[in-house]
Amino acid sequence: MAAAAATAAATKGNGGGGGGARAGAGEASGARKRRGPGPLATAYLVIYNVVMTAGWLVIAVGLVRAYLAKGSYHSLYYAIEKPLKFFQTGALLEILHCAIGIVPSSVVLTSFQVMSRVFLIWAVTHSVKEVQSEDSVLLFVIAWTITEIIRYSFYTFSLLNHLPYLIKWARYTLFIVLYPMGVSGELLTIYAALPFVRQAGLYSISLPNKYNFSFDYYAFLILIMISYIPLFPQLYFHMIHQRRKVLSHTEEHKKFE
Amino acid sequence: MKHYEVEILDAKTREKLCFLDKVEPHATIAEIKNLFTKSHPQWYPARQSLRLDPKGKSLKDEDVLQKLPVGTTATLYFRDLGAQISWVTVFLTEYTGPLFIYLLFYFRVPFIYGHKYDFTSSRHTVVHLACICHSFHYVKRLLETLFVHRFSHGTMPLRNIFKNCTYYWGFAAWMAYYINHPLYTPPTYGAQQVKLALAIFVICQLGNFSIHMALRDLRPAGSKTRKIPYPTKNPFTWLFLLVSCPNYTYEMGSWIGFAIMTQCLPVALFSLAGFIQMTIWAKGKHRSYLKEFRDYPPLRMPIIPFLL
Repeated sequence: MAAAAATAAATKGNGGGGGGARAGAGEASGARKRRGPGPLATAYLVIYNVVMTAGWLVIAVGLVRAYLAKGSYHSLYYAIEKPLKFFQTGALLEILHCAIGIVPSSVVLTSFQVMSRVFLIWAVTHSVKEVQSEDSVLLFVIAWTITEIIRYSFYTFSLLNHLPYLIKWARYTLFIVLYPMGVSGELLTIYAALPFVRQAGLYSISLPNKYNFSFDYYAFLILIMISYIPLFPQLYFHMIHQRRKVLSHTEEHKKFE
Repeated sequence: MKHYEVEILDAKTREKLCFLDKVEPHATIAEIKNLFTKSHPQWYPARQSLRLDPKGKSLKDEDVLQKLPVGTTATLYFRDLGAQISWVTVFLTEYTGPLFIYLLFYFRVPFIYGHKYDFTSSRHTVVHLACICHSFHYVKRLLETLFVHRFSHGTMPLRNIFKNCTYYWGFAAWMAYYINHPLYTPPTYGAQQVKLALAIFVICQLGNFSIHMALRDLRPAGSKTRKIPYPTKNPFTWLFLLVSCPNYTYEMGSWIGFAIMTQCLPVALFSLAGFIQMTIWAKGKHRSYLKEFRDYPPLRMPIIPFLL
C-alpha cells in the first residue's frame, strides 16, 4: 500500500514535457492524499505505460530509419503515420483511467490534453492531406515523441517505485524546449491547413438547412489558434513552477542522504 | 453570566487576526462575523468563512457559540471566500441579458445580418411565437427572482457572475441568431409541430411556476428552513410524487418544447447543456434530502421519473 501511495504522489501532477497537448497543468499539483491504485490496477497501468513507451519508441525509430533511408527530413510523416495515429489515439484510455480513479488526475484536464492531441492528428493532419508533407508536422511529431517516451517511462518507473533521477530530470527539463517546439509545429500545421479547409468547405455547414445551424470549420480553426495565446503561457509557466518544486525537493532529499 | 473569549486566526498562516473578549455565550456566528468586520472592514460577513478546524467545514451563521465544542476561549479559523455578490443581483443580471439580446436579433438590429435585412421582420409565424416564448420565459424568471424565490444563501463568489452571464448571454445570442436569421427554415411538420411544441412549452412553464410557488410556501419569509416538498392541490405539483426537483423537470420540458418548436439545433444543444447541469443539481439536492430526512419518499428520483 505504501507503494501505491508513492505511486499516487509520483504519478499525479507535474505535467509532462513539451508538445502542444496541454501537458501537465491538468494533473493536480500539491499533496492530495489519495489511496492510489490497488495491485491489479497498478499491474495494468505498468503494462499500459510500458506499451505506450514502446509505441512511441517505435515512432522514434521509424523517424530515424526513414530519415536515413530518404536522406532528407521532409515528408517523414508517411513513414510513421499508422503508429502515430494508433498510439496517440490510444491515449484516450488515460481519460478512462482518471474517470475510474486509478490515476489521480483531473478528468477534465486530461480530456482536454488528450483531445487536443487527437484533434491535431485526425481533424487537421489526417483530414487535410495537403499538410502531411509540411515540415511543421515533423516539428510537433518529434516534440511529442520525445515527450511521450519520457513521460510514459516516468510513469512506469514511478509505478514500480524506482524512478531514476535522470528520467525525473528529463521530464521536468526538456519541456522547456520541447513545449514551444511542439506548439510551433501545431500552430504552423493548422495555419497551413487553412486555405485547403476554406477551398473544400471541410466540416462546414451553411444556411439554409432544416436544423437551422451553421458551422465554419475555417473560423473554428482560427479560434483554436487564438486560444493558444492565453493557454500556452499559463501551462508553460505552471510547468516551470512545477520544475522548481520537484527538482529542488530532490536536491534537498539528496543532501540528507 | 460567563463571557467567552474568541480569537480568530487565519486558517492558512495561523496568524492572529482578531481577539474578541466579553462575547456573550448565546452569540451566533453571524454576530461574531459582524464583530470581526469591525476590525477588518475589508472582510464583510458574507465573505468570511469561520470554522473550528482550519481544514474543516464552515460554521453556519445560526450556530450559537456556547453550543459549539469549544472552551471559554474559542479559537476560530478564518478563510476569505473572496469578493461576494448577492444571488439576486446575479440572477437579475444573467436573465436580463438574454431577454434584451434575443430582441436585438429579433428586430434585426444592424451589423448582425446583411444590411438589406436591417429592421426587417420574419415572414414565419413561428419566429414571432418563438420571440414571445423566449421573452416570456425570461420575464417570468426575473419576476420569480424578485417576488417568489426564497434564497438559502445571500451571496455567491463574484467570479460566478462572469461565468453565468457568459453561459446565458452566449447561448441566447447563439440561438437568437439562427431563429431570427433571414434564411431560417421553419419546422418540417409545419403548424402541427409548432402547436404541439407550444403546448408542451406552455404546460411546462405553468408546471415550473407551480413548483416555484409550492417551494416558496414551504419556507416562511426570511427563513432558511428546509422541509420535504409534497404535492398540493395544484395538479402540476403532483410531479413531486415521482421526482425531487420537478422544477428542473419542467424546465427541461420547456426547452425541449422550444427546441421542437423552432427546430433549431443550437436550442437543442442549449437544452442538453442545461439538462446536464440541472441533473447534477438535482442529484445533489436529492442526496441532501435523503441525508436530512429519514422518512424521505423512496419512490422519488432526482429529475426524471423512474430513470434519473
